Amino acid sequence: MFVSVDEKCLRLTDDSGERGVLLGMRCRQCGVHVFGPATFCQSCTSSDLESVELAQQGTLFSYTIVRVPPPGWPGQVPYVLGEVELPEGPHVLAEVIDCDHDALRVGMSVTLALQPVEMEGVANSERVVYKWRPG
Amino acid sequence: MAQFRPGRDVMVVGVGLHAFGRFPEQNLSDLARDAVVDALRDSGVPWSAIPVAYFGHVYYQGMSIGETTLAQLGLTGVPIINVENACSSGSTAFWQAYWGITSGVFDLALAFGAEKVPSGPVTVTAENSPARYIGGDHMMAGYALRMKRYMEETGAPASALAQVSVKARHAASMNPYAHRKETYSVEDVLNSRLIADPLTLYQCCPTSEGGAAAVLCAADALDTYGVDRSRAIRVAAAALTSGNYNGRGSDHSAFSPYRTEPAALQAYEMAGIGPEDVDIAQVHDAATIGELQQIEALHLTPFGEAWRATEEGRTALGGDIPVNTDGGLLAMGHPFGASGIRMVHETVTQLRGEAGPRQVENARVGVAQCSGAGDVTTVHILTR
Ligand SMILES: [Zn+2]
Repeated sequence: MFVSVDEKCLRLTDDSGERGVLLGMRCRQCGVHVFGPATFCQSCTSSDLESVELAQQGTLFSYTIVRVPPPGWPGQVPYVLGEVELPEGPHVLAEVIDCDHDALRVGMSVTLALQPVEMEGVANSERVVYKWRPG
Repeated sequence: MAQFRPGRDVMVVGVGLHAFGRFPEQNLSDLARDAVVDALRDSGVPWSAIPVAYFGHVYYQGMSIGETTLAQLGLTGVPIINVENACSSGSTAFWQAYWGITSGVFDLALAFGAEKVPSGPVTVTAENSPARYIGGDHMMAGYALRMKRYMEETGAPASALAQVSVKARHAASMNPYAHRKETYSVEDVLNSRLIADPLTLYQCCPTSEGGAAAVLCAADALDTYGVDRSRAIRVAAAALTSGNYNGRGSDHSAFSPYRTEPAALQAYEMAGIGPEDVDIAQVHDAATIGELQQIEALHLTPFGEAWRATEEGRTALGGDIPVNTDGGLLAMGHPFGASGIRMVHETVTQLRGEAGPRQVENARVGVAQCSGAGDVTTVHILTR
C-alpha cells in the first residue's frame, strides 16, 4: 500500500506507486492556477476555486546540483533539484532523476516520475514522492 | 496597495553592534544586551526614557527573550514586543519602531535584534514536512536555482558573481565587526567547494552570531531628550511587504528573484526620491546572486545589468553606487534577527561620515533592504 508524500499535492492513481497526478487549484474568476491546495486565489483573492489535475510534463526553468544536502534529506548526494514550469503556470520544485548532469539544459522538457522514499532512521516512513525525469 | 500616513519625522539617534562571528561563551541575551547598551550610549538617551522596544529574532531561545534580555538594564515596565519575520526580523522590528513614533504614539523607540544561528544548511519548514522528502527546502539551493537562471538569461559569467564576494571581503577587511575579514580573489571564490552548482561556498553567507540595535526619536523631540542633532539621521521611508506574485502562486515563491520591487517602489514614493538619488545601498546578499537581483529590484541598475556594474567596480567602495559597504551578509555573516538592523547601523555610520576607511564621500541618501522567507521584504531609506 503506497502513500503519497502529500495527498493535497500528489494523488496516486493506482496501486503501483508509480503513477499519479499533481494536484492544483484553478480560480474560476481569473483563471490562475496554483500547485497544491488553496482556499483563496493568490492573484485575485476569490474563493471560487476548483481543483484540477496538472500536466504531466513541463519545462526546466532552472536547476542545481545539490552537493551539500539539507538536514533530513533521504536520497543520494549529490542530487539534482529542478524548478519546473508547468504549462498551466505554476512552478514545481522537485528532484530530477535519471539524468546526465552534463545534458541538463534550462528549457528542456521533463516528465513527472514517482518514487517511493524512506526517511532515514524512521520506521514505516515510506512515501511516494513526485520527481522529474528528462523527456 | 499600502496606504501611508506618516506623521512626525523620525530620526535614528543611536546605533550599536555586537561583533558578528562565533561566540560560544555568550548567550543570545548577552549579544543583544551589548548592542543595546552600545546604541543607548551612542544616542545619549538613558534607558529609563525608552517607552517601547521591539526585538527581532528567529530561533527559539525560550519565551519572552526580549524581556529577559532588557531586564538586565533595569525593570522599567517598558512594553517589549518579540518579532519573528525570518531573515527580516530585525528590520521588521525597526519598521515597527518607526511607525510607533511617526504615528505619534511614542517619542522614542528601541529596535534591536540578535541571533545565534547554528552551523550548516538553513531550512525553512518544520521537521518531517513533505518538503524534507522532496528536497526543495534548502536556502542555498534556492539561490543556486536563481543564479543558474540569471546567468542563462543575462549572460553573466561566473566571475562576475564571484566578484560580488571579493568586493564584500574587501569592505569587511576594513570593518572590525565583520565575521570574515580575510580577502580573496575571484579564482579563490570559484575554486571553493561547490554547495549547489553553480554556487560555491565563498558565495554563500556564513551563518553567524551577533547583535544590533538602534534608538529612534521623533524629530520634534530631539531637544527634549538632549540628542545631538548633528548626528541624527532621518528615516525618509519604511516599507514592509509580504509576497505579491501577480497570480503565479506561492509554489516557487521562496526563490522568486524580484519580490523586492514592490517594497522598493513604496519606499521611493514615501521618501519622494528615486533610485537615481541613492548614494549607498545595503542589500540582502545571503548569496552573491542575491546582491545582483536586489540591486536590480531597487532599480539601481536596469534589470539584468547588475553583474556588469559589479564587474566595472561601480558597486564597490569608490564606485558610483557602493553596495554593502560593511561587507554585507557575505562577510559580516547573517545572524537573522540582527542583520536588518546591522544594515541600518552601517547606513547611519556612513551618512554621519563616521565609517573611517570605508567612508563613502558625501553620502547623503542610503537604502537598507532585507529579505526573508515568507516573501518578507523591508526597504528603509535614510537621509542626512
Ligand atoms: Zn483569481
